[in-house]
Amino acid sequence: MRFECRGLTFTYPEADNPVLENLSFSMAAPGFNAVFGPSGVGKTSFARILAGGNSGPGGNALIYEGISTILYSYNQERLPGWANTGSHLEKVCPPKNSDLRKELVKIFKVDSLLGSRFSQLSMGQQNRMNLIRYLIQNFDLLILDESLANVDEALRETIILAIKEMFPTKLFLYISHNLMEVARFCKDILVLSRPGKNKGAVVVQGQNYETGYTADPQAIDRSLLEIMNAV
Amino acid sequence: MLFRRIYQFLIVYCLGVVGLLTVKYAAGLSNYVIPGLALIFDTAHRMLAGYFLDVLNTLSVTVLGQMISIFMAFFVGIIGRKSSWAGSFIKVMAYNIQAYPIVALAPIIFILLGDGFLSRLLIASMICYFPLLLSVLGIMASPIKDIEHFYIATGRMRWQLEVKIRAFENLNKLTTVIAGSATLAMAGTIVAEFIAADQGIGYSIRIALYQSDLARILVALFSIGIIISVYQGILETVGEQMKTKWFAPKGGDLI
Amino acid sequence: MNQKIKIDTVIRAGLMVLCMMLFSAVTPAVAGDTLNYRLKWLFNTSVAGDIIADTGGFFKNAGLDVSVNEGGAGKNAIKELELGYANFGVASADQVIRALEKGADVVVLAQLFQVNPMQWIYRSDQPEIKGLSDLKGRHIGVTFGGNDETIMNTLLAKAGLTSKDVRISSVRFDFTPFLKKEVDVWPVYRNSQGVILEDRLAAEGEQVKFFNPADYGVSFVANSVVTSGTMMKKHPETVKAFMTALLSAWEFAVNPANESQVLAQIKKKDKGTKDDIRQKQLKATRPLIKPDKGTKIGTIDVRAWQQTERIMVKEQQIMAPVDVTSRLVGPKKQS
Repeated sequence: MRFECRGLTFTYPEADNPVLENLSFSMAAPGFNAVFGPSGVGKTSFARILAGGNSGPGGNALIYEGISTILYSYNQERLPGWANTGSHLEKVCPPKNSDLRKELVKIFKVDSLLGSRFSQLSMGQQNRMNLIRYLIQNFDLLILDESLANVDEALRETIILAIKEMFPTKLFLYISHNLMEVARFCKDILVLSRPGKNKGAVVVQGQNYETGYTADPQAIDRSLLEIMNAV
Repeated sequence: MLFRRIYQFLIVYCLGVVGLLTVKYAAGLSNYVIPGLALIFDTAHRMLAGYFLDVLNTLSVTVLGQMISIFMAFFVGIIGRKSSWAGSFIKVMAYNIQAYPIVALAPIIFILLGDGFLSRLLIASMICYFPLLLSVLGIMASPIKDIEHFYIATGRMRWQLEVKIRAFENLNKLTTVIAGSATLAMAGTIVAEFIAADQGIGYSIRIALYQSDLARILVALFSIGIIISVYQGILETVGEQMKTKWFAPKGGDLI
Repeated sequence: MNQKIKIDTVIRAGLMVLCMMLFSAVTPAVAGDTLNYRLKWLFNTSVAGDIIADTGGFFKNAGLDVSVNEGGAGKNAIKELELGYANFGVASADQVIRALEKGADVVVLAQLFQVNPMQWIYRSDQPEIKGLSDLKGRHIGVTFGGNDETIMNTLLAKAGLTSKDVRISSVRFDFTPFLKKEVDVWPVYRNSQGVILEDRLAAEGEQVKFFNPADYGVSFVANSVVTSGTMMKKHPETVKAFMTALLSAWEFAVNPANESQVLAQIKKKDKGTKDDIRQKQLKATRPLIKPDKGTKIGTIDVRAWQQTERIMVKEQQIMAPVDVTSRLVGPKKQS
């Protein structure tokens, strides 16, 4: 399983300048990887291009090996309002993943919310509920675009560690603004800088902590520095 | 909702009558030009019951015409939502036909269908169909990306689900448009009756106009206003109940 | 503070505009202004005299500045007299009587149609209507709520027939049911629609006849020239000058010797009608306005007015008599 990007350039139809310019990198999969960069650098555009696969705007610049199903989830997605969230999760859950769904509901701490409508949930609860929908699908690569926004830090850590433990054979691309989180829990971190800075894309190694980890402050600082230098 | 509709109408109606009476007494006009209160009451006493029955007759055509329009608008709106060519063609056609005054189309309709029930029904449907269609097309052609994305990405999207998502997300707009189209359907039926029918309130208004009897027209307008307010109130209440049922925190159906 | 002053100014300006609109709506024109003459219907051959009075210079020669305005659906000359939009107008007798019932200040200066043009057309291959009893079993068109319904009800009552003895159908704006032979006897204005229908059927080899209620003793008065009682009282000279000019113009219009001139003037106002139809319409209009040489145009047939009033009371078009004869101020027919 491997994922590579060779000279990806993308310009929106009405824009003058490209949002992504000659982006090249490769990531060995599986793993919980990240895309990091300042606001407006094109992270979401990049994620959507990846989600489009070879038939999307990325075309032949994207090379996927052993990755056939790509899903893209993002912050502020909504579940329809005509039924409770539990019904929706049940309805979209492949039968074989029924136990997985139940386990995720517990880990994500949304078991008491299954009888509620989506609009009645807080933003953090909504994002957790939405992410469960995606995790119970069949996928090879799941892009999480700010998918844990508004979730408190402790629970976010629990969720990320659980995902890593439960889906060791899948590739994740986690888009977040939380530098510390990315540095601690992600394996490969693709750092995007603004086009024209002549830095291109740099892949930094994160600490890739797993359940029961012991933090090494110096190692974390090193990763942080590398990321900051790459931006 | 129902009572609010009625008293809102009564306020507007009374303001209109007071305005007319002010002009009448300020300018010293006779009852022939603007009827006085006594004449209005006397006419109401004589005509109101009959006019209510006439309006109910008109309303029966209105309701049927509106149901046909709603069905047609959803049918065409759902079909036309995907293809940009069909969608734009339907929109252009709807705008064009809307622009034709119904009195110009009426002779063709009357020649083809005669001047009975079918013509009234068709004209009522035509007048309320096109605005409904434009709204339904607009709603059905606008994706709700933050809901639809998941279903598209996971290959679960079906046209029924797409329609359900878009209708649910625009339920307020749809109920308002449907309730609003009741007045259009009523106006359409009245126009049809006015042009060529021998029953309904439009026909009664035509007779009153032949006889330059503004008092009768005011009584007819009162009957129309009350009954259309009740009808719209009922539609809105049904819409509210639908929303409450759909939005209810428990017991919703599965998609 | 400034905003409050602005709002006050807007409210005051709005009130002033409203007052001006009301004032202008109810202020009658005074002598010396343009006189407004509101016809009952659109410009066509039926109003030949009114057109000639204007374009033939009859009003001008009388020293009057008159604007002759088309009528139409929704236009009502008597209401306009009261609102000050018109000084003279053409109204049907039923309009006058209804207006009097409701307290309008209207007087009749002249009766333009000596014979009501509202008649019924039927095909010649149908049994001829020689008497009112011949109406029995016919399929008759009437405009519900219109004068023809009142007239037909009177005719049927006179013949001792009820609605069960005939078949009545509602008339709409086009002739299709008559042309498709669904209705046998169809109401028309003899000198306008009557001519058109007669012509159209003749083209298909069909002949028609007309059924005139006046021949059976029902004289329901049609169009007359009216003004307000106030105008009559305050400007009698203007009224006199206006009527003299108008009736002279009508005399000119119905004189066959002036036919080409009159048709040319009508054509300027009524471009949509074919020349030969216009000519036939004028020919049909003459006997309605001036049935014989001895009849002075505009003469008021008091008996016909009284009959019209009686019919309207009987048909419950009005609740009580209005003494219409007291409002007939023009020259009357000597009986």
